[in-house]
Amino acid sequence: MTQPSSCPDTPTDVAKLDRRSFLKTGLGGTLFLGAVSTTMTLTGCASSPSERLPAVGTRMDARYQFRFLTDTDIEIFEALLPAILGPSLPEQPQSRRLIIAHTIERMDAGITQFGPANQSELRRLLDLLGFSLTRITIARVWSSWPDVTTGEAEAFLQRWQNSSIGLFNNGYMALVKISNVAFYGHQDQWHLSGYPGPPQWAVEALPQFKNA
Amino acid sequence: MSVNDPFTEGLELGWKVTDGASLTENQTIEADVVVIGTGAGGGTSAEILARAGLSVILVEEGGLYHQKDFKMNELTAYASLYQDGMSRVTQDGAIAILQGRCVGGSTTVNWTSSFRTPDETLNYWANQLGMGDLTPDAMAPWFDGREQRHNIEPWAVDPNTNNDVLRQGCEQLGYAWQIIPRNVKGCWNLGYCGVGCPTNAKQGALTTTIPGALANDTTLIHRLRADRLVMNQDRIDHLLASAMSADGVSPSGVTVTLKARHFVVAASAIGSPGLLLRSDIPDPFNRIGKRSFLHPVNATTAIMPEKVEPYYGAPQSIYSDEFNFKEGVDGPAGFKLEVPPLHPAMSAGVIPHHGQKQIDAMTNLPWTQSTLALVRDGFHPDSPGGNVSLRGDGSPVLDYPISDYLWTGLRKAFGIMAELQFAAGARKVSFVHMDSDWYSSWAEASAALDKLPMEAHRVRLFTAHQMGGCGMGRHPENSVVSSFGEHHHVSNLSVHDASIFPTSIGANPQLSVYALAARNSSRLASKLTG
Ligand SMILES: Cc1cc2nc3c(=O)[nH]c(=O)nc-3n(C[C@H](O)[C@H](O)[C@H](O)COP(=O)(O)OP(=O)(O)OC[C@H]3O[C@@H](n4cnc5c(N)ncnc54)[C@H](O)[C@@H]3O)c2cc1C
Ligand code: SF4
Repeated sequence: MTQPSSCPDTPTDVAKLDRRSFLKTGLGGTLFLGAVSTTMTLTGCASSPSERLPAVGTRMDARYQFRFLTDTDIEIFEALLPAILGPSLPEQPQSRRLIIAHTIERMDAGITQFGPANQSELRRLLDLLGFSLTRITIARVWSSWPDVTTGEAEAFLQRWQNSSIGLFNNGYMALVKISNVAFYGHQDQWHLSGYPGPPQWAVEALPQFKNA
Repeated sequence: MSVNDPFTEGLELGWKVTDGASLTENQTIEADVVVIGTGAGGGTSAEILARAGLSVILVEEGGLYHQKDFKMNELTAYASLYQDGMSRVTQDGAIAILQGRCVGGSTTVNWTSSFRTPDETLNYWANQLGMGDLTPDAMAPWFDGREQRHNIEPWAVDPNTNNDVLRQGCEQLGYAWQIIPRNVKGCWNLGYCGVGCPTNAKQGALTTTIPGALANDTTLIHRLRADRLVMNQDRIDHLLASAMSADGVSPSGVTVTLKARHFVVAASAIGSPGLLLRSDIPDPFNRIGKRSFLHPVNATTAIMPEKVEPYYGAPQSIYSDEFNFKEGVDGPAGFKLEVPPLHPAMSAGVIPHHGQKQIDAMTNLPWTQSTLALVRDGFHPDSPGGNVSLRGDGSPVLDYPISDYLWTGLRKAFGIMAELQFAAGARKVSFVHMDSDWYSSWAEASAALDKLPMEAHRVRLFTAHQMGGCGMGRHPENSVVSSFGEHHHVSNLSVHDASIFPTSIGANPQLSVYALAARNSSRLASKLTG
């Protein structure tokens, strides 16, 4: 499903609300804005999971099928991950691109298990960041996500981390937590934390690792 | 070091186990007792009731995972074994909630520390809350029995370095410390209790009471969510439940109606009050969901001169109760000191930073020691706990405001933990707090702590111990069930899990749940068979 081009980028009535009044809290730390998602759903502009092709050659067999993250969400994380992960990402463009793509796929897989209530909280956070009006007025990110520089992403993260408004701290935690867990938690990045993995002698002795 | 898997063997022997996701048609089933939830409370209840000759149906929302699935992998374990794929939090997002959602409940992922309910807590319940039948003497035989059933003994192996740092700090500062009793049999000392024990050494519900129940007249249906208890006049007539689809989180549309003489709710704190609220169970004094407790946890991290490898070895083996009851059971907030295991995904999710600061913390993981404080909530008027309510979709959510009383305890705990780590030789210490730096001396850390805001979202807070919400007591005005877990208003309804605690425990709760569930199920069994 592609969004009809007639869909407004931002619901008009959102603009009338002042920013505190429509922020609601929730999840992992997530934050959010019922008005945007609701209006988008009502106007038939609800976002659907990305059908984007994953980074070429990332999977041996099947290509990853996104179940939660939309094209816009993916753009958001493509812009944020270089700031969240910083020098933990390789410089070399091809492997950098692959690692970012893999991390976003794993985030999507993890979010699938969040359950409906926490998923909708996260949806509201990502919609808030995704719609240009709220991206600009609330997140104060001026460029659209594909054009956001690492410096701008870093400034955004710091604003939300250091804000005196708990809701923004909460949104910050949600974004960095799902990113950090999906990245540092995966076998491919264990070396970054010096974690050697499960003890080899135990792996060799246990039946569930046989003929795997 | 046996690695026989009771589930694999039992399934071959013909245990009655159904995956809700495999159901294609609505159906009605019936037994003497329906037990909802398969964790510490549900497993214990099912085994005792089934051994007494009653037919039992065990209902579990999560999936069945056992040895074949336990591969010491954090990401798959957090997604499959934990509530909300490990994303559960309190309503405002300020406290991360770790809770199990699988056959065996939280016992499948817990860290195996096994404490009796502290005497101070039992005496408080007996003297202040009028439950004279729960004195330490009265409960002793039930603790004895459960210690046998779950093979609970003080850990005889040397603590790993992560735990030993806590011991050393206590030695240096003259604080009391003790060895933790664990529910394990032939433990390989691996350190992966939190992602499902790969060796079946852990003696949680999955390897003890649930097999015990299934070997008798019990049917287990997993990936089946209890939605609503339906009353007929003053009794529960049946339970309506929704089968989950293969993804484990979305209902497939198939419903199961479960009929029974008696219903035991053991869906734990948050889950049990949620079910009772959805069911409109009589609640004239609005008690359901109130007084929910968490043992709010804060933590410090230290970089040690030697390798700690906090991901290996029995996760918890040393504790200190120096500050738990020191200022009286209902004085300023006391806390129990322990350590958490640290694997990369857990660490990355706990440390509240990004970029270079996150990298620095992660790179030091092999040298990192962490200490945590479990703050005892619910004993003081300024610590009334939180409140469970229902979201629009019927799922339960916990609102847990953090009072100044608790912040005072949390600040004090931060200070003591940093002091302990420096006393044990830490090079530098950081508070798990958005505004914390690394400090290289106790004086520096302590000065910084004075200025750190104790506020929601600045302090990273956690809970692995959800309690209350269906509190027990003598009077319906201030409780939901009796001290035997019997509902005050509905005669064929009992609650047998951590939700019945009228305060927090002041120690890791599993043995308290096992013991009370055993006591209350034995009584229920004799009533139903009598
Ligand atoms: C990571 C972690 C570490 C811990 N470490 C320790 C420790 O070392 N020592 C200790 O004493 N305690 C520890 N605990 C806590 C301890 O395991 C729990 O306090 C205890 O298991 C609670 O027992 P319970 O019966 O109340 O709930 P649980 O054991 O959590 O079981 C409840 C079950 O009910 C199911 N359920 C919920 N709602 C529904 C529904 N609507 N329909 C069907 N099923 C439902 C859940 O999926 C779950 O499986 C730990 C917990 C965690 C998460
Ligand atoms: S330390 Fe390892 S073997 Fe022992 S109970 Fe925990 S996971 Fe099982």
